[in-house]
Amino acid sequence: MLKTIREVFAFFFFLGKRSRKMKVFFLLSLLPVALAVLVRIAFAGRSSEVMSVFQEILMVYFLQFLIIILTLFYGTSVCSEEIEGKTLPYLTTRPLTKGGIIIGKFAAYTALSALMVFVSLAASYLIMSFEKLGEAATYGALLRYAGVLLLGLMAYTALFTFLGTFLKKSILVGLAFGFGWETAIQYFPGSTQRFSIVHYLKSLLPYYSEGKFSILMFRLEPTSPAVAVIVLLLITAGFLGLACLFFSLKEYMFED
Amino acid sequence: MTAVIETRNLSKWYGNVLGLSDVSLGIEPGITGLLGPNGAGKSTFMKLLTGQLKPNIGSVSIFGRRIWNDFGTFAKIGFCPESDAFYEEISGLEFLTGLLSFHGFSKAEVRARAAKALDIVGLTGDKDRKIRGYSRGMRQRVKFAQAIAHDPEIIILDEPLSGLDPLGKRKLIHLIKDYRDQGRTVLVSSHVLPEIEAMTSHIILIHQGKILAQGDIHYIRDLIEAHPHVISIKCGDPRGLAAKFVNEPYVLKILFGSSGDSLVVETHKRDAFFGRLNQVVLESALRVEEITSPDDNLQAVFDYLVGK
Repeated sequence: MLKTIREVFAFFFFLGKRSRKMKVFFLLSLLPVALAVLVRIAFAGRSSEVMSVFQEILMVYFLQFLIIILTLFYGTSVCSEEIEGKTLPYLTTRPLTKGGIIIGKFAAYTALSALMVFVSLAASYLIMSFEKLGEAATYGALLRYAGVLLLGLMAYTALFTFLGTFLKKSILVGLAFGFGWETAIQYFPGSTQRFSIVHYLKSLLPYYSEGKFSILMFRLEPTSPAVAVIVLLLITAGFLGLACLFFSLKEYMFED
Repeated sequence: MTAVIETRNLSKWYGNVLGLSDVSLGIEPGITGLLGPNGAGKSTFMKLLTGQLKPNIGSVSIFGRRIWNDFGTFAKIGFCPESDAFYEEISGLEFLTGLLSFHGFSKAEVRARAAKALDIVGLTGDKDRKIRGYSRGMRQRVKFAQAIAHDPEIIILDEPLSGLDPLGKRKLIHLIKDYRDQGRTVLVSSHVLPEIEAMTSHIILIHQGKILAQGDIHYIRDLIEAHPHVISIKCGDPRGLAAKFVNEPYVLKILFGSSGDSLVVETHKRDAFFGRLNQVVLESALRVEEITSPDDNLQAVFDYLVGK
């Protein structure tokens, strides 16, 4: 199983780097870097305001747009691109476990997404924290943001991978979930918001009440960081396990 | 010889549509042609053999092991799918090395095997070009290469000659015969009868999900008593030859060719006819220029069996 995962990961990481999708998403992920440069110019000398803008970029662009878009396209494609592209027999007629194929592709696509997100996050954050580059806390915060985004990437990719194994139009369902349910539920009071992934991601971030987008945190009733991490890991493992199960049991037909 | 592939009561439905019905057969080493029109169930049969589909009823065994989710057995199988599908953004060499790495070979062995397979199919010069830029024939060849690169004992080829030019077809047929000569099991599907005929005389005829016949084409042909064999003989004295056969009980009809130098005999006992023909030729010193059997080919067998 581990050997399968390693081989599948290596092949699809390589394939993913060559894909057009990667180039488009890489450009998309660089938008915050361009924004960071503009903010630095516009808010010259007002470092506290600059950091406030960064929090908003993190909340709105990274957390509620970029990682959802990346995981939606990569996660659903773990299975569906093989079916739509009719390349599935190249994998399923090899001595590879079906679970290994899913986990290997999941790992490859999560790694690619993480690479794009981390480059963008690090560049935009460091540009905005230019005055504090000598402080250890700057890098501690960066690691924390990167960790939260990685957990988000894993949880969403696992969910969308699972959807891709059994739904024909998994991307539409994923869009409705990622930009409908995940956004709307944040404004619900009480424990309802715990039925979203983004709730646990936000629970891991520092609480900010300032800024135009502070409404996104307004109703947050955070879960403790330890519980949030455990829940996110469980979501990842659970959906990935289900994806492996469905992929092992289901027969896939190609449309002529 | 022992069958390496065995199916027992194999049946498959797609909802209410019958894909394959009650197929029990064994496939031995050598080339076996799987023949049938489009939609006959050839691809369904091959997908069941390669573990891509699970039977609704019955079983498939490869080397005595059930194939469904038996990943170890896949190392012994090379499969060339019908669809013209690839990972387009990579080169032929990268495609092969990537797929070979799934077999657990070392990196050096992966490279050596990929280079050998590309050499076999004549793509060494184009190995670094992206598959997206390959011609249809090159795509067919690289697809064949991935099926043989890991040196499988069983090669299952779904319409492998589709899209190849005549020279390419000839080369591939030659290659397939090489694998037969090495004692491997090759199952080739096609709906183009002369293609199969050029590779093997051992066939499985499939139609509407059912196996109509299996065996040597001549044997199958002999089984069909309702349809006579047609034998055309070009000779110096067709009328004299006809006179020798006209009273034979197994001769159903004799027709003369329009050019006056041939006759066409219809018989339901081919062996008896040829035995007598040998005698006649020897006794009368008749000069025979050509003997052909226009309906003793796969098209005729197939037409007879499906009732055309």
